[in-house]
Order: sequence, then C-alpha cells, then structure tokens
Amino acid sequence: MKVESRTVLGAFSFLVILAVVYWVLVALHGSSTERSGIAMLVFSFSAYALLGTYLLAQYLRRHGIPRAEDRFDATQEDGAGVIDYFPATSIWPVAMGLGMVFGACALVWGLWYLAIGVVLFFGAVFGWVTESDYTEDVLPGSDPDELGSSHGDYASTGAHQDH
Amino acid sequence: MHPLTGLLATNFGSPSGVTTQDHYVRELWRLSGYFSVPIGLIVLGLITFAIVRYRHRPGEDRKPSQFQYHIPLEATYTIIPLVIVAVIFGVMYNAENHVTKVSAKPSVAITVDGFQWGWRFVYHNGHVQIGTGDYNDINNNNDLPVLVMPSNETVQLHVVSLDVVHTFYVKEFLFNRDLIPGINNTFDVNVTKPGLYPGQCNNICGEYHAYMRFLVDVMTPTQYAAWYANQPACSVTTAGVPGTQKGSCSAINAGADFTGYTQAPKG
Amino acid sequence: MTILEERPQLPFEAHEPSLMEIVPGPRPRGIVKFVTSTDHKQIGLNYLFTALTGFLLAGLMALVMRTQLIVPNNHFVTENVYNEMFTIHGTIMLFVFAGPFAFAGFGNYMIPLMIGAPDMAFPRFNNLSYWLYLGGFSLLLAGFLTNNGAAQFGWFGYAPLTEAIHSPGPGADLWIVGIGLTGLSGIFTAVNIITTVFTLRAPGMVMFRMPIFVWNILVTMFLILLAFPVLTAAMALLWIDRHLGGGFYDASKGGQPILWQNLFWFFGHPEVYIIAVPYFGVATEIISTMSRKPVFGYKGMIAATLSIGALSMGVWAHHMYTTGAVLLPFFAAMSLLIAVPTGIKFFNWIGTMWRGTIVLNTAMLFCLGFLAIFLFGGITGVILAQPVLDFQVHNTYFVVAHFHYVLIGAVMAGFGGLYYWLPKMTGRKLSEKWGKLGFALLFIGFNLTFFPQHDLGLRGMPRRIETYNAGMGWNFLNELSSIGAYITALGVLVNVWNIFTSWRNGEIAGDNPWDGQTLEWACSSPPPDHNFEALPPIRSERPVWDANHPDMLTKVGH
Repeated sequence: MKVESRTVLGAFSFLVILAVVYWVLVALHGSSTERSGIAMLVFSFSAYALLGTYLLAQYLRRHGIPRAEDRFDATQEDGAGVIDYFPATSIWPVAMGLGMVFGACALVWGLWYLAIGVVLFFGAVFGWVTESDYTEDVLPGSDPDELGSSHGDYASTGAHQDH
Repeated sequence: MHPLTGLLATNFGSPSGVTTQDHYVRELWRLSGYFSVPIGLIVLGLITFAIVRYRHRPGEDRKPSQFQYHIPLEATYTIIPLVIVAVIFGVMYNAENHVTKVSAKPSVAITVDGFQWGWRFVYHNGHVQIGTGDYNDINNNNDLPVLVMPSNETVQLHVVSLDVVHTFYVKEFLFNRDLIPGINNTFDVNVTKPGLYPGQCNNICGEYHAYMRFLVDVMTPTQYAAWYANQPACSVTTAGVPGTQKGSCSAINAGADFTGYTQAPKG
Repeated sequence: MTILEERPQLPFEAHEPSLMEIVPGPRPRGIVKFVTSTDHKQIGLNYLFTALTGFLLAGLMALVMRTQLIVPNNHFVTENVYNEMFTIHGTIMLFVFAGPFAFAGFGNYMIPLMIGAPDMAFPRFNNLSYWLYLGGFSLLLAGFLTNNGAAQFGWFGYAPLTEAIHSPGPGADLWIVGIGLTGLSGIFTAVNIITTVFTLRAPGMVMFRMPIFVWNILVTMFLILLAFPVLTAAMALLWIDRHLGGGFYDASKGGQPILWQNLFWFFGHPEVYIIAVPYFGVATEIISTMSRKPVFGYKGMIAATLSIGALSMGVWAHHMYTTGAVLLPFFAAMSLLIAVPTGIKFFNWIGTMWRGTIVLNTAMLFCLGFLAIFLFGGITGVILAQPVLDFQVHNTYFVVAHFHYVLIGAVMAGFGGLYYWLPKMTGRKLSEKWGKLGFALLFIGFNLTFFPQHDLGLRGMPRRIETYNAGMGWNFLNELSSIGAYITALGVLVNVWNIFTSWRNGEIAGDNPWDGQTLEWACSSPPPDHNFEALPPIRSERPVWDANHPDMLTKVGH
C-alpha cells in the first residue's frame, strides 16, 4: 500500500498548499465571495487526509511485508486462495436503484413518492445484506446450496486445490 | 506591405477593437500566436512524420525499437513549456492591470441596468435611455435602446442586474462584463473611434435572451456635450417611442419606467 | 508473415491447470442478465450502450440547433424549445455520454482485466451505479414531457435564472435530480474502482506496472470523489431555494447568486478533466499497441496525469473571469500551468510512435484524429486561460469551438477505443472499410462544423442565442457550420451501423487480434466468467507482450 498511500497523501499535500496560497491571496486582494473556494479546498484536502491516513495505516500494519500484488517477483501461486465473494446476479441493486429513483421523484413531484422509495430502498438494504451472509470457513467447490445464496460465486486462485 | 510583416501585424484572426484597451489585447493575441503557431506546427509535423516514416508496410518484418524513456529529452519538453507559460503570464498580468483599472475621476459615469429582456442606461442627471429588442423580429434594429457616450474620454459603466445574470458585451470593445445580482461591477472604457456599435446580452437569461440587444452611439466630445445638455433631468427616452418623456426622479428610482414592458424587473 | 494476422500462441495456456475454481451456478440470459448481472463486463456493456444512446439523442438535439441557426431570423423551433435543446444537449453529452462512456463503460469492462482481477471489488454496488445512472438519464429526459418543458437555462444553470420564480415547473427539478443521480452513480463507481485497483491486483502487478489506462482512470476517480459531492451540495441548495423558501442564491434574501457559480465551477472544471483523462488513457493504450512499442516515458505520463488532476482543482474560476469577483492572476497562472503536463503527454505519445511499426487501422486513425483535434483545442485553451483575451471572447462561439475541439477530440479517442476493444468484448472485429469511411466523415464533418465557430466568436456571435440579426456578418459561417453538422451526423451513423452489423457478423477476433501488450489480451474474446483461466507472469507493464515476444522484452521493471 506504499504507492497508494503516497499518491493520495501527495494529492493531499498539494491541496493544502493550494488552499493556503489561495487563502492568503484572497485575504490580500480577493473579494469576499471567494471564501466559498477556500471552504471547498479545505473540504477537499480533508477528504484526502481521511483516505490517505487509512491507506497509510494499512501500509504500516503490514510492517514492511508486501502483499502479493506489491511484490515485483510474485507468481500466481502467491495469490492463491479465496479472494472474495463475487455474486453472479442479484436483484437487490436494481431494487435499491429503483428506490432511490423514486426518492428523487419525491423531490420533484411530491412526498408520496418517498413512501414507495423508502420501502424499496430499505427492503433492498435488508435483502442485500442477508444475501452475502456466509460463514468464513466455507471452501469453494462445496455444495452451493449450503451457501447463503443459491447463485453465489466464489473466485479464487486455486493452484493448491485438490478437490 | 511585405507579406511577413503583414502576417505578423495581424492579430491572428482577431478583429481590432475601438478602445484604448485594444493595444493590450492585440499584444496578447500576437504573443499567443507567436508561441502557439510554431508549437502546433512542430507537434503536427512530428506526428505526421512519425506515421509516414514509421508506418507498417505490408510484408514488412521490422522489429521496432523498444526504448522506453529519455530523461534529458523529457526534461527539455517539461522546462521549455514552463518558461513559455511564465512569459505569457507575465505579459498578461501587466495587460490585465491596465484593462481592469477603474479610474477615480471618470469623465462620464453611466449606470447600466440589465433586465429580462432589455437595457436601461441611467445618466448622472437621472436621464434614462430604456428599451428592449423586438421579440418578433431580430432583424429590426429600430427599437433598440441606445447607450450614448463620448469618444476619447473615460466613460465609467456601472453594470447592475435587476433580476438574473446578464452580460454586457460590445464586440468592438473586446470586452465582456457580467451583471450579477449582489455583485457591484464597474469598468472603464475609452473609445477612440466615434460610431454606432451593436451590443448584446451575453449570458443566457431566459426566453428572449437572443433579442436583448442594444446600440452604443459614440459621439465626439462636443457632440456628446450638446446631446447631454438637451436631456432634461430624470427624463426618459424609450426605444421605439419618438421624443423624450419628462419623468420624475422618484418614479424612475421606483422603476416606474418599466411599465409597458412585457417583463418588469422582479425585485 | 505478419504477426498481427496470426493468433499468437500464448506459452502459458493449454496444458497448465486452470488457475480459477468457479462454483457453477445458474447462468441467466437476456433481460434477466441485463438487469441482475453483477459481472463488470455486463455492466460495462450496459454503460456503453446507454451512453451511446445518450450520444445519439443529444446529437439529434445538436442537429435541431444547427438547423435553427443555418440562416438568420429562422423559426424552425421556438425560443423555449431552443433553450431546452442546448441545455439538455450539454447535460446529456457531459453527464450521460462523455464521462460514463469512458470511465464507467471502458473502465468497468477493462480495469479488472488489465490488473488481473476476477471482478470489481463491489459487484452489486457496481450494478447499483448503473441503475442510478440510467434513472438519472431518464429523469433528465422526462423533463420534455412536462408542461413547462425540460430545463432551459444552459447546462451550468446559473442562479438566479434557476430559481423557482424564473424557471417554474418540474423540468428544472428533474434536471437537478437527474444530475444528482448520475453524480451519485459516478461517486459509487469511483469508490468501486479505487478499491479494486488498490486491493484486487494480481500477484506481481505492482502499481507501477499497471497500464496507463488504469492509472488515468484512477486519477479520474480521485477527481470524481472531490468534484461530485460539491455539485450535489450545490444542487441541494438550489432545491432548497426552489422548494423550501431558501435564499442561498437569492440576493433579495441575503444570498449570493455568485455562490452557485463558485460551487458549480469547482465541480465543473474537474468534470471536464474527469471526461478527458480517461480518453487520454485509451489513446495511450491504442497508440502503444498499434506502434508495437512500450509507452514512452511511462512514469512521466503518470506524473503528468497526476499533475493535471491536482492542478485541475485550482482553476475553476477561469470560467468566471468576467464576473469581476475572482482573483484573476491566481487562476490565470494555474490555468496556464495546466497546459504543461498536457504538453508532456503529447510528446510522450509522439515518443511512443517514434521508430515503431505503426499499423494505421481505424482505431489508430481515430487516435491520430484525437491528437490533431485535441492539440488545436488545447491551444485555444491557452488563449482562453488569459483573462484579457477571455474578456473578449467569453461566452461567444469561440468558447463553443474550443470546448468542442477538446471534448470531441477526446471522444475520437473513445471511438478508437470501440474499434480497439469491441473485438475483445464481442469476439468480433468491426469492419475496417466502414470504419475508415466513418472516421473520414466524422473528421471532415467535425472540422467543418466547429472550425468556423472560432471566427464566429471573434466576430462577436454570442452562444446560446436562438437566432441572430442578418446584418452581423455571421450568416455564411453559420451555414458552413450547419452543413458540417449534417456530415458529422452521417459519420456517426456510419460508425453506429458498423457496430450493429459487426456485432454478429464481423470477422472473428481471437484472443489477441492486435498483438496487444496488456493483460486484457491474455483471455479469450469475450472473456469467461471471472476473467482469467490463466495468467502470464507479470514482470513489467506489458505482461502479454513479454510472454509473446521474449526477444523484445520490456527492459524497465523487468
């Protein structure tokens, strides 16, 4: 995570300098309406401070041991194992999306749209979260019906798989 | 005129202005042209050369050279553009200070009010020139409000919006300035050539934005003095309506001269 | 023997065991697949199709505008309809087409492939992004069905024109929420792509071995995270003004109309780099593949892209020079500076072509078109960066010409990307014959449309006017421009025709029709579920090239 954190923290540093220079120049020569620009720059570098610090923490946590994707000489075997749960299909994103669109319609045409939107949205949240309900020690290759969802997919690099 | 001198003397396509600012604008167009034309030609030339010289010919089996970097070359084409933009910035900063300078003692001060969709010019003695364009016929130039001003003198224009954002734009002045509610905008013009110049609103302001035009009548100082002497205090000249009506200053301040227009100012 | 005609034998395929264990499940087809699939490839295709639909619709609006302007005092459409046209044309082109086509279409499809990942980090979230995008697009268009019509105040919607009293009706609100939804979609995509690039790379794919396209999209995503929330906030304040009696942008209530401009352009300028930077990445990939060379100055390219992204946060008020309320020298300096890294990229592209073996197929032609057109647009940008010159041409057709040169220059690279990557996505190449004709029509038509507009602007023609006086000297140039627009439309149609007919009938592409260098060419066309059956060893930024050409290994990073 070294390069990642440095990229974000580098952007953060640049934005800090930009904000300070702009602040000073506005105070000396600018008009009061430019204070909004200062505010936006401050929020911008704060956002990157947040992200950059998180990435830096992730980097430092590893105490210098690089991940497989950060090693110059890594092979595919180094990345073997379960990567993550990648569901193939899911109805919940479209349900949630519809809920948000109805919510947007509420902003245009009237609050009653929000009723539909809220039901769809929070229903979708519930469905989404329970869909990815799975236990840690499930191995890929086992019976899919025992997993949280009948069309769950695990992707892994399985160079060590025997079954 | 020698062709090269002629080319260099142009503004690379830009028209000449009629104000004292024209000199600064022209200088910047030339500077921009002197840098951008050679750079553009070099870059295009390199691209053309590359695709002609190094294109893949059928049946060819050449192994292209796999070089990946050349630090001195990369440094060169980083530093030279930096120097160029620094030069442009320097010249521009100087020009900008001249162009945006507002005089403490202008010869004439006029308030320009923009509204949907016409113009209102208020002179020092309260005289008003007001009008909108013909919303049915954009070719009709007869009913446009006229901004009268003297040449060769510093005319200070204070632009005010009465509703939405408009922009005061006269092509020959080579200048745009926005009319924004809440922002006090003042600028100076000093027109060197008397004449009649068309102006237009230059910021989308609603349905008839295209028709929000005006004319600038630049007279010699003597003619202007005579014209101004003939405008009674707080009188109103309405575009398209012959003669000048006598108004009252309080009524004008209250916006009474807007009655009769399709769109009164909204606050 | 020409290497490009043969399907290269990848030394790591066939006999080695498959590296991916996929749990088989029911595989949906058709409309169910379109709606529920979380596969980044399907979602990428969804975005590409929707974006192209937006492109065609907005293009139709452009034709309406150019027809209205072909002669002075024309009455082809009414004033309100014309104002709707340029507003929605701009909004769709920027929010629905140009940005999402590259970063959500190509980005979603290609990034996991290019870094050796099985999918995006958050596949369902990815799908949600698409629905928000489609929803926002639909709401934008819904404005046309309302009584007062769609939004009519220009794509940057300056207050107070957007206040309820000046723009009554739901059209403006639909514009607000439409953009809000597409903006949310962009933010979610940014979160997804950044996480994917940071956490799902294949072993050996260190950050500085990623393709330039991936780096460019990464920078774009960083910009989205900063810019779109500001836009959402600005829109929220506008909605409050319109519906809850707020006075943020209302001078009579103590607000500041210019606040809108500051907020909007703080978003608006990074937005145009959000649009342009991915296309720079597409161009880099195509130019390096078609020249059969590595990218010249790889780290310099990355540094330049990062500089462009960083600097773009500090230039927003160059859109506000004529307001009289901004610090002119600061923004002029920053705007002029941003030309430098862009120039570096240009020289690096030339260096990539230099002494290569350049194949001049349609994809490469589109990239060359991009180079020529964007160069010109960039130069007029340097002119506009100077306040004194901007005072002259602000809001005239000179600006319209400038931004169409840079935007359509970028879109040219996007079309090149279609010719380059559709064979990977569909398994079939597009017709070179139709492609070259389409390119020629587009290039000629585009220049005929927009080159005269520089002069129109210098002659004083403002933008966003529905008609003009016959005696201003603008007649001939407007005619030329409109004729060019029809030719451009023809070029677009030829390309669309090509896409449709080649989808099922094109020549079979195979895994690697262009002798490509990056990882997306290591899998079949189209790629299987979860992308990779086998991966070559990743020892440089060109793993597939290294595997195919051991005699021309990439030196740096090896």
